[in-house]
Amino acid sequence: MNGEIVQNLKLLSPELVLVFFLVVLFTVDSIWEQTRKNFVPLALVFAACLLGTIATCWVSKLAPTVFFSGLVANDSFSAFFRYVFLFSCAAGTYLAFGSKELEKQNRMEFSLLIVCVTFGMCLMAISTHLLMLYIGIETVSILSFVMAGFKSEDLRASEASFKYFIFGAFASALMLYGFSLIYGLTGSLQYGEIAQYVQANLGNMPYLLPLSLILVYSGLAYKISAFPMHFWTPDVYEGSPTPVASFFSVGPKAAGFAAILRFFLDILSYDAASGSWKAIGGEQLVSVVAIISAITMTVGNLSAIGQNSVKRMLAYSSIAHVGYMLMGILTLDTFGLGAILFYIIAYCAMNFGAFWVVSIVADLKGSDRLDAFRGLGWSMPVLGVTMVIFLASLAGIPMFSGFIGKMLIFGAIVKTPGLLWLAVLGVLNSVVSLYYYAKILRELWLEGREPGNPSELSIYHGVALVGLAIPTVVLGLWFAPVIHFVERSIATIL
Amino acid sequence: MSFLDWATGLHGYLFVGTILATLGIIAVVYRRNSIGVLLGIELLLNAASINFISFSKFRTAAIDGQIFALFIIIIAAAEAAVALAIILRLYRLRETIDAGEANLMRN
Repeated sequence: MNGEIVQNLKLLSPELVLVFFLVVLFTVDSIWEQTRKNFVPLALVFAACLLGTIATCWVSKLAPTVFFSGLVANDSFSAFFRYVFLFSCAAGTYLAFGSKELEKQNRMEFSLLIVCVTFGMCLMAISTHLLMLYIGIETVSILSFVMAGFKSEDLRASEASFKYFIFGAFASALMLYGFSLIYGLTGSLQYGEIAQYVQANLGNMPYLLPLSLILVYSGLAYKISAFPMHFWTPDVYEGSPTPVASFFSVGPKAAGFAAILRFFLDILSYDAASGSWKAIGGEQLVSVVAIISAITMTVGNLSAIGQNSVKRMLAYSSIAHVGYMLMGILTLDTFGLGAILFYIIAYCAMNFGAFWVVSIVADLKGSDRLDAFRGLGWSMPVLGVTMVIFLASLAGIPMFSGFIGKMLIFGAIVKTPGLLWLAVLGVLNSVVSLYYYAKILRELWLEGREPGNPSELSIYHGVALVGLAIPTVVLGLWFAPVIHFVERSIATIL
Repeated sequence: MSFLDWATGLHGYLFVGTILATLGIIAVVYRRNSIGVLLGIELLLNAASINFISFSKFRTAAIDGQIFALFIIIIAAAEAAVALAIILRLYRLRETIDAGEANLMRN
């Protein structure tokens, strides 16, 4: 028994590394007060992410198992998402330490929160049990409320955290009610057992299963900000500090996708060979997801057009990207689902980059309005050029990673019978998004220089921007190994 | 089946749970006061707890539903602590906890 627990704990080592560094951060904070203001917390977070990555590498080599009596799974799907979370944790902390929006004496608290959120996201990605999923989601949510309101004397930040809380707590309470119905219906909390029961009793539960799935979806849709739970996104991103918003737009969103994929694929898909969804209550799930995806991306893109605040615009654009990613779920094969994972990698780099530029400009000019960007391309060429790369990639222009992501997803959709309209809508949406991304680029380069003293980009930020631009370009040209990697990752849960 | 049997069986508990959940949703949607919204969310969580415990007793005869209810209580407490801190700060900055007045950010 003891040997088994030790064996299982080994598989959990990336999470244990994060917990260990959480304790270290607490200890360092209490015995050495100076660290609240210097870069020691950053070094510790980096160490945590590095060691976590090494641990993930190590456990991903082991055979895929579901352990701790069915609570969590260790497979290459978990490993993939752990990499994404650790990367976004490191990048988010790095950005926060260079931003003026976070006061220096709060650095230690920020590091503690972000490491703990990362731990919660890892739990979301590895859980194969409703209780574990709930604990993971709440760990992420509750700490995110705090992070959103990090500027304590700022009314907008307080409002952002308030809205985040109202939506988040309501969504997860609905989800919990859905969990309780699923438990009553199937008599189990473990995904595998639920799936077996659903398989055996298909058609016997015409109303309750769809109802509980809708409730569960509402909780998970809140995490990825998909329709109809997307209303909080623009307000929260606009009000919270930019580094925090950039982290929210990548980390918890990827975690939400991990949870959605695991939950719905485990419970509702036939085996991958037949490549179709289980019908629940006579309804095919495909049309529902297709409509959700269509509405999500259209609402995101159309609302983004009229925005004057770039942060708000990027918030709406992040909703639109969720719409594109949801398309991949419909195909139910390694190609389409792998495309989602590829898109997450590409989105991670390009969206972080775009938010990073907004953060730098907001620190410099004290505003994230469009006119704050005027002529900055000429005075800070590195910032200007990398922003072109990020926005072109977000818009899906060839040669950049976003294009490959979109191409994979649309390609998978076109092959799925009856969904051609969705692919066409997706392409039209990309065209719309090009318009508002181009507005930012026009301000950066084409509107002439703003008179006044020229501003310089610090090396601290320059390194990061280039570091994020490189994968955005490289993934657009040299993508075959990455596609191979994501398809191997997704294959373990199909 | 007498009313007492019905009320002390699975259906009675589920009935209470459903009413609590409905009241919770109504409170979240219609209350303007932030504390009222928070209470609505707590009602929803408790409805889920009741469901878990009654299913655990009458449906599965396993302990996992009751354990889930314990976790819900713990997490609800953590959530309420953070929520009250957020509401308190909003009150300090603006002297109202009306949810409808949190409208600084609009298009």
